[in-house]
Amino acid sequence: MADTINQAARKGILVDTARCIGCRSCQVACKQWNKLDADKTVNQGTFENPRDLTSALYNRIRFVEKETPEAVTWRFLNERCMQCGDAGCIKVCPSPGALYRTKDGIVAYNKEKCISCKYCVSACPFNIPRYDANDKVSKCNLCQSRIDGGMTPACAKACPTEALKFGKRNDLIARAKAAKKEIYGENVLNGLGVAYALEGPPEQYGLPPNPSIPLSIFLWKDVIKPLGILGFWGSIGAMMLHYVTIGPKKVDDDLNNKEGGNE
Amino acid sequence: MSNYIERFSTSERVLHWIVTASFFTLLLTGLGLYSTLFNGYFTLFGGGRNAILIHKISGVLFFLSSLYMFFNHQKDVSSFDQDDKQWVTERGGYLSRNASHFNIGKYNPGQKLFAIFIAAATLVLGVTGLFIWAPTMFPRWIVQLSLMTHGLMFVCSIMFVVVHVYLATIGNPGTIEAMLYGNVRSLWARKHHPKWYREVTGEKP
Repeated sequence: MADTINQAARKGILVDTARCIGCRSCQVACKQWNKLDADKTVNQGTFENPRDLTSALYNRIRFVEKETPEAVTWRFLNERCMQCGDAGCIKVCPSPGALYRTKDGIVAYNKEKCISCKYCVSACPFNIPRYDANDKVSKCNLCQSRIDGGMTPACAKACPTEALKFGKRNDLIARAKAAKKEIYGENVLNGLGVAYALEGPPEQYGLPPNPSIPLSIFLWKDVIKPLGILGFWGSIGAMMLHYVTIGPKKVDDDLNNKEGGNE
Repeated sequence: MSNYIERFSTSERVLHWIVTASFFTLLLTGLGLYSTLFNGYFTLFGGGRNAILIHKISGVLFFLSSLYMFFNHQKDVSSFDQDDKQWVTERGGYLSRNASHFNIGKYNPGQKLFAIFIAAATLVLGVTGLFIWAPTMFPRWIVQLSLMTHGLMFVCSIMFVVVHVYLATIGNPGTIEAMLYGNVRSLWARKHHPKWYREVTGEKP
């Protein structure tokens, strides 16, 4: 299915990591609105908790701890589905309507249409989609139901420092640029719906510097798939052409030609 | 001299049709996974989830039966002689209207290469299919590579199968009988596989 996007109408979140205090109100608010159970975790000697996204955890704060002789620096990254403008998950999803683009440019999903193939897990440049106990896709959809009702996503609503700012994507990015912030995700993948103002290089936050749809996924869907359909019909056409031009090898031909087959 | 000679035994034929049936089940269940263009094929199986389940079951059946079939014929299909070389040089006479005669044994080089290709494709599709079966259990790059390779090998397979079906039916009238009843006409055998014909009948050239 063609994944088209209206950039002017896109809504999104700008994550200003400089403002984030790591309070994780976003994690809690998300769980509350989306009625997600708590995950059982273990203490691993860090404040980061849980350590990874799960099917019941659509966003979380990644704690980037760095020790220097003078001090320990902490950086916080809100990790979640970034609502790619060119979404690998939508590209590979074989079930129309299971993963789709809303008019606001959000990558939304419908669990009832999910057929549990997990292709989206492989196609995501950021390794975001998780599968729940019923083997259905789950991830952040920017609180689609709240946006449809004219509200702000739960995480941005709960954020006490405006580290998460929701609004028209173009406006958010223009404002951040006016404030001389470095934007991550302005243009990559046709623009990320959740873009970041980072305080350092993306690698420091565990983000890929040049995110893209994995090469083998691109070759599979954009090269092999169309060429394969051509190849299939081409081979049928070639056989038909052979039949009417050169023709079949009839055994009876040799009835009048006694030496046939006996050489 | 009998009018007919046996080409494939009952068990060989049954095995071939098990491979065929599982192949086409895989094709029909897999089309919807190949592209949303073919989403309608899911309805044949009651939705995508069922199609995936049937794809997995028939995949195991195809993997085992196809490899078993190859090992059954391995001796006949994996060696090539000088007569085969001539067949390859002249493309089996398929690119010309003129009658051509080759001293071919039970299988011609085209058939041998098809058998080898299908065995290799079975292996590749089986292994990549295993990674796609449980993608969250394997590293992402392996699954990504598998998805691409699985699609590529499918495309190659279906194109070879189109040629295979053509050559075994209308392209060479009389051939399909070998797979339906097991017996082929002696005239057919003498024309297409003279060396094999002489081996079976003991007839001197």
